[in-house]
Amino acid sequence: MEFTLSKEQLLIQKMAQEFCAKHLEPVAEQIDRDNKIPAEIIKGLSELDLFGLPFKEEYGGADAGYDCYVLAMEQLGKVSSGPAITISVNCLGLGAIDKFGTPAQKSKYMPKACRGEHLASFAFTEPGTGSDPKQITTRAVKEGDHYILNGTKRFISNADYPGPMVAFAMDDESSKPTAFIVDKFCEGYSISEPWHKIGYRGGNLLDVYLKDVKVPAENVLGKMGGGFPVLTYGIAFGKVGISSVALGGILAAYEAAVKYAKEKTHRGEPIAKFQAVQLRIADLAMKYEACRWLTYRLGCLANNAKDPMLFAKEAAVTKTYVCETFVDAARIAIDVHGSYGLMNDYLVTRLYRDAILGPQVEGVADMQKMIIAGVVLNG
Amino acid sequence: MNIVVAMKQIPDLQQIRIRNRKPILDDVALTFGNIDKNALEAGVQLKEATGSNLIVVSVGTEALEDTIKEALAAGADEAYLVLDDEIGDMESSSSARLIAEAIKKIDDVGIILFGEGSGDNYSGQVGSRVAAILGLPQAGYAKSININGNIATVTRSLEDCEEVLEAELPIVVSVIADINEPRIPSVTQILKAGRKPKEMLELDVTGDSMLETISNLAPEMQRKQIEIETIEKLLKVLENEGLLRR
Repeated sequence: MEFTLSKEQLLIQKMAQEFCAKHLEPVAEQIDRDNKIPAEIIKGLSELDLFGLPFKEEYGGADAGYDCYVLAMEQLGKVSSGPAITISVNCLGLGAIDKFGTPAQKSKYMPKACRGEHLASFAFTEPGTGSDPKQITTRAVKEGDHYILNGTKRFISNADYPGPMVAFAMDDESSKPTAFIVDKFCEGYSISEPWHKIGYRGGNLLDVYLKDVKVPAENVLGKMGGGFPVLTYGIAFGKVGISSVALGGILAAYEAAVKYAKEKTHRGEPIAKFQAVQLRIADLAMKYEACRWLTYRLGCLANNAKDPMLFAKEAAVTKTYVCETFVDAARIAIDVHGSYGLMNDYLVTRLYRDAILGPQVEGVADMQKMIIAGVVLNG
Repeated sequence: MNIVVAMKQIPDLQQIRIRNRKPILDDVALTFGNIDKNALEAGVQLKEATGSNLIVVSVGTEALEDTIKEALAAGADEAYLVLDDEIGDMESSSSARLIAEAIKKIDDVGIILFGEGSGDNYSGQVGSRVAAILGLPQAGYAKSININGNIATVTRSLEDCEEVLEAELPIVVSVIADINEPRIPSVTQILKAGRKPKEMLELDVTGDSMLETISNLAPEMQRKQIEIETIEKLLKVLENEGLLRR
């Protein structure tokens, strides 16, 4: 059992830190305010190979594994959640194509998205359902060598960027959900304005309208009626990204609280001298360390995941614990700041807005706990 | 042509903690100094402009075999290393001797680049000493370097002026931080760094003198705490200090 990082892992972590310090931190407030990621940030992330970090070189990835992915995403999430969540969703969509796609599908859709020229999306949620595959109403009807898709998908990340979208629809042959690779901005594809969400600003969520969208039969991902494993496996791998983004947020909250505690004085003494503040700093240290090793472990597990249900459980454990802890950590950091922690001039307010999204997205916390309990109780 | 960049492995200054007024170096990761990274970036730019090969030369403890990946990720093509765990805080003349010995084993050297001073001791001596040992011209405080054929044009940033020099290759050049902003290596470059060639040199380090750090505290500044109530008293105090009517 080893708890040290290799030189390569340290360098990838440092690379992300340097990019954040030089390029991302100066525009982090702007991204939050404008709800938009500057094009030069996307370009910079692309030049560092961060959009396809865990995927194989033959499909345009950097082949660095999910362990290195976690380290880089933590650093991005610490500074600006929007770009981090954009990469996370790109890897969620690409992960599904990588796992279930044919060599032709991978060659067609992965390289550009690994380079950040395209961005992948993952479209399951609909206005009527967010977790239950049986409730989806998007329909796929076969017509010759194509399927015609009709329906609405809700809260879809990266829907406003070109690239592949893994979309789930009930097909008329199996009456089960099937995953299709849809080329975004094809005929019949349209999107809403971005939702005005509270946190993870810059990583936009949009509604997607599919009206008579013609999808070639060769774009079925996996097999007809085989959407459920694509969904569970894809979502499980997506949790590696979102857990890492939340972990970065915890680190930011922890560091902001320590800095403030050392700088803010009361009766001529830094407030770090007061026991009440010290106890909060200790809580943040404990929460960060627990979440750090849980998330790093998930990255290592993702590299060698064999049993999809067991991995789904580990991903649910990590995502739920880390995202819920981020809420606690952001709240504690606000407490350390006192009234100043309520002012938007301080980073902790943004962290709190980011934190409360985590337990709700990419699998609501209660649903994750049901997955965990299901595996624990039933094997 | 081979471009050589000499780099020194040092503790990561960001990770050093101070306890009882002493730096704690245990478990601190090793890296290269910032100005050494400027020298490497200058080398990479010259390599791209001239189509040369870039070799990084370094002397240090066994950990250098891992640390060197940082330079190989940032654009060096290969590394010549002198490794010995006895090499700790080596005195500048000894470092210069070993680096010069290593460079002698490289053919067709066009330019040898150094950072103006290392990130830890900043003695600023090694570049000049290597130039002297190898019998090469040296230009320090370089803020830009161009190579055209067999001629290097170096702009030196001096206290109150800039000086432009031309010299025939080979030449030793020490650069300042203003020369460039080192690029950030990509994930792919980092992963490929470990596969680049490394030449391990067996050089005799016995008898080389080591530095013993007695103290690395900043000099203590003591205020004189003289209260000045009037202009007359200010003038008197300055006069007593020898700062007026000398």
